[in-house]
Amino acid sequence: MTTWKEMLKDDIPAEMGKLIDTYEAQMELRKQGKLDEKVFAEARLRKGVYGQRYDNGQRHDGVRTRDLAYPSGEVVKGPDTLWDAPGMQRIKIPYGGLTAEQLEVLSELADEYSDGILHITTRQDIQLHYVHIDDTPDLMRRLAAVGITTQEACGNSVRNITACTLAGVCHDEVFDVSPYADAMTHFLLNHDDVQDFGRKFKVAFSGCAGHACGLVKMHDLGLLAQTREIDGETVRGFTVYVGGGLGTVPHQAKVLAEFATEEELLPLTQAVARVFARLGEKKNRNRARIKFLVAKLGIDEFRREVEEELKIVPHDARHTAYINALSDFSYKPAKAGMALNGAPLPDGFEDWYRSNVYRQVQPGYSTITLNTPLGDFTAQQGFLLADIARRYVGDNIRFSVEQNVVLRWVADADLPAIYHDLCEIGLGDPNAGTIVDITTCPGTDTCKLGIASSRGLTAELRTRLIEKINLLPDAVRELKIKVSGCFNSCGQHHVADIGFFGNSRRSGNHKMPHFQVVLGGQWRQNAGSYGLAVGAVPARRVPDVLEALTERYVAERGEGEDFQTWVKELGRKEIKAMLQPYMKLPSFEEAPAYFSDWGDSRVYTIDDIGVGECAGEVVSLFSMEISKAESTQFEALLALDDGDYKLADEQAYKAMVQAARALVRTKHLDVGDNYDDIVGEFRSRFYDTELIYDRFAKGKFARYLFKRHEGAPARVNEDYAHQIIDETQLFIENVHTAEQRINGVIVG
Amino acid sequence: MTIVPKRLGIKFSLKRQPTLEPEDILPIFQRWIQEHRVEGMLIDVIDYKHVPEGPGIVLIADEADFAYDLADGEIGLHYIRKRDLPGDLSRALQLSFKSALAAARALEAEAPGDIVFDFSAAKISFFDRMRYRNDPAVFENARPALTNLLSDIFGGTVTLARVYDDRRAVFAVSCTVAGENINADALAARLEENRQSV
Ligand code: HEM
Ligand code: SF4
Repeated sequence: MTTWKEMLKDDIPAEMGKLIDTYEAQMELRKQGKLDEKVFAEARLRKGVYGQRYDNGQRHDGVRTRDLAYPSGEVVKGPDTLWDAPGMQRIKIPYGGLTAEQLEVLSELADEYSDGILHITTRQDIQLHYVHIDDTPDLMRRLAAVGITTQEACGNSVRNITACTLAGVCHDEVFDVSPYADAMTHFLLNHDDVQDFGRKFKVAFSGCAGHACGLVKMHDLGLLAQTREIDGETVRGFTVYVGGGLGTVPHQAKVLAEFATEEELLPLTQAVARVFARLGEKKNRNRARIKFLVAKLGIDEFRREVEEELKIVPHDARHTAYINALSDFSYKPAKAGMALNGAPLPDGFEDWYRSNVYRQVQPGYSTITLNTPLGDFTAQQGFLLADIARRYVGDNIRFSVEQNVVLRWVADADLPAIYHDLCEIGLGDPNAGTIVDITTCPGTDTCKLGIASSRGLTAELRTRLIEKINLLPDAVRELKIKVSGCFNSCGQHHVADIGFFGNSRRSGNHKMPHFQVVLGGQWRQNAGSYGLAVGAVPARRVPDVLEALTERYVAERGEGEDFQTWVKELGRKEIKAMLQPYMKLPSFEEAPAYFSDWGDSRVYTIDDIGVGECAGEVVSLFSMEISKAESTQFEALLALDDGDYKLADEQAYKAMVQAARALVRTKHLDVGDNYDDIVGEFRSRFYDTELIYDRFAKGKFARYLFKRHEGAPARVNEDYAHQIIDETQLFIENVHTAEQRINGVIVG
Repeated sequence: MTIVPKRLGIKFSLKRQPTLEPEDILPIFQRWIQEHRVEGMLIDVIDYKHVPEGPGIVLIADEADFAYDLADGEIGLHYIRKRDLPGDLSRALQLSFKSALAAARALEAEAPGDIVFDFSAAKISFFDRMRYRNDPAVFENARPALTNLLSDIFGGTVTLARVYDDRRAVFAVSCTVAGENINADALAARLEENRQSV
């Protein structure tokens, strides 16, 4: 029978195909119990394959906690994460930009492997939920065939690189950051220097300082477009921010470099990554983000470390090669730009035009935002949206951090027609970017760490606000609401006018879902300041609280006073007093409804909360690398079974080199990929020094590698293939033992 | 062609718009988990009612999803079998029909007279673009075998049509029994009978 692997073999770039094959082999090894569960968990996370709520086999059904007897039994895909349990697949969409064809494939995958829904995340990615791990390799292949990767979408690695959705069409930008985000994505993807982080690393680009879109100040690495006059020439570059981040302890990023030129951008980023890998916390994941390292060292010392590191970053042609290619990055609109003519306008067009249309800097063109509820759309909508894109804008589709679909390069004359077509597929809602367009994390719906239902609350607020949006004064209409299901802030509640994050309180013998109210965060100025937590209210009271807050704001605000200023003036004490009446907790008997969450009829409990996989597993770089050697060795075995002895030999040899490289990199990170270099370094560092020596066999196993490195025998037959695979096994074992002896016990 | 697809969906639509709103289905499905009202390893309920013509409210199980589905402008019960499909299409269809029917009847029992299904028609979806691309040739190829298998299930001659023209969409077939008013009991009895004969 045909497989996707065979069908797509000519369409998948070789490098991507290999990574997926390795992952598939690791899956097999894990199922057989031959790969450590933590190592596998991290390998899987780095492929964007996340766990999901209830994957520990426990679920509270409102009456009692029940076991979910997944058929896979005891087999796990990570600590306490059962193999058959549904999972989430995160798919990287660099700077949120994609083509019509890519959108079609994503949509196909949503209804074949997920629940028919594509979900846009707060970092411009796509997530599919309820995906079975066994389906993930094919899912990845089908994506790879259209140039999408899930590599490093989760885990302790460089996550999706984000950028303003208006980049390239914006009136205020210094220049278009999209091609830089693209270049950095390619440069960092799978780079050796980003494999040994204690935690995730998020990068964002922004085209200007004043607006929100790029949010550079809340990122591990933020890049803000700038130009400078140097020797009478205008030179492009970036202000480099480092150490920002949300989460439990939000930090504003610090300026690492006022101006890094195009030539300096990639090496500087690489140096930051190396310093983070070398000095960042590895054991305590709660303090492992780069923000803690920057805080610990102080920005000046951190900068000094980076400058020192820059001196030893190996030369790499790619550091500057991208600059010549920048001009290849261009946009092809589907139509010539043309002003709106006087034709009659469809019903509802004017409301939609007011909130969803942005006039581009290019005359005759607009960018439109599709108010995508909760970031969700169906596979069917995805296909039809691809048609609309082809008809009006070509491949100029983006996803925004506010979880909306954005279409750029619409000829103004087409606005009524595209509005009409979007209404036909249920994506013509007005009010994009207004108070009804709420951002939300997955929360208790699917997230293992969720404490309250952020999506349930968002859906409720949305329904209520839509009913009265036309009655709301502009000052309220324009407020931003963002909701997270817990303090981890995946919904970015810190940077909303009004933010909420889930927590719980006890009343009598019952827990009650709550939301902490966070006010006055700043979305503009690239997430310029974070909001103030003012008190937790029962989830069921949130709509009332919102109404009280906005009514008072409208009644009391000074002329032109914005929400942030009003909140600050009012002060925490006064706000708390205002919330006080809502904080009273009724007993279970008085108000049972308070004890269930939005969109959930079960009596509330957090007994079935899981262990989150936000951080990935802290496994050593060595463990990750040696596991690749093990999966290659496994592929050699498969080739042997298939009777392909030549391939078996090549894979076995490759596995030995990978194992040697894993060990070499514990001492010399920059060994590179060249087999001669790896074997040479291995010999001088571990063989000549006898560090690799086995107690009894001495240097025998290492010599298997040296022998094969000299060349393959003229005839490769079954016996030989068997033998070299056995030797590879022994060599890998030898490397494991030696590593423990040399470097101490491996974490995990 | 009688290859079993990766996933197989059966949707029965309602005869008329009920007074019950999709949000009213949420607590019903949640209670079904507590009471183990339908077969399978029931995991969770997810709410997609905010998505136009989407999967609506979905009861997720390990082997299948039960959606109170809003797609194609027709409310219905969409049973999607995700795993453990028998290796033979006839049995795969029977198994899926049986589960879809049981769930639809359980839903009718929640709102007698309000939620009423039309059991003389169904949409059958083949979620498998490798083996079943949604094009006319695939349909023509599968039509004879499907006609036989589905006539067998419905106990009368069925008329088949391709549901979507769009090549990218899932390959789905609408199946209607000619002239007869199939009732659920008769359909259930047939599925039992057929089951014994295979
Ligand atoms: C301790 C665990 C976690 C922490 C501290 C954490 C923190 C964060 C933060 C701060 C953001 C976004 C803000 C930004 O743009 O930088 C984020 C993004 C996100 N998180 Fe989490 N998170 C955790 C676990 C999870 C889990 C378990 C899930 C559920 C599967 C989840 C789902 C998301 C989603 C959907 C996004 C946007 C994703 C993207 O495309 O990168 N997070 N997380
Ligand atoms: S904020 Fe909390 S509930 Fe929401 S996705 Fe992040 S970890 Fe999960």
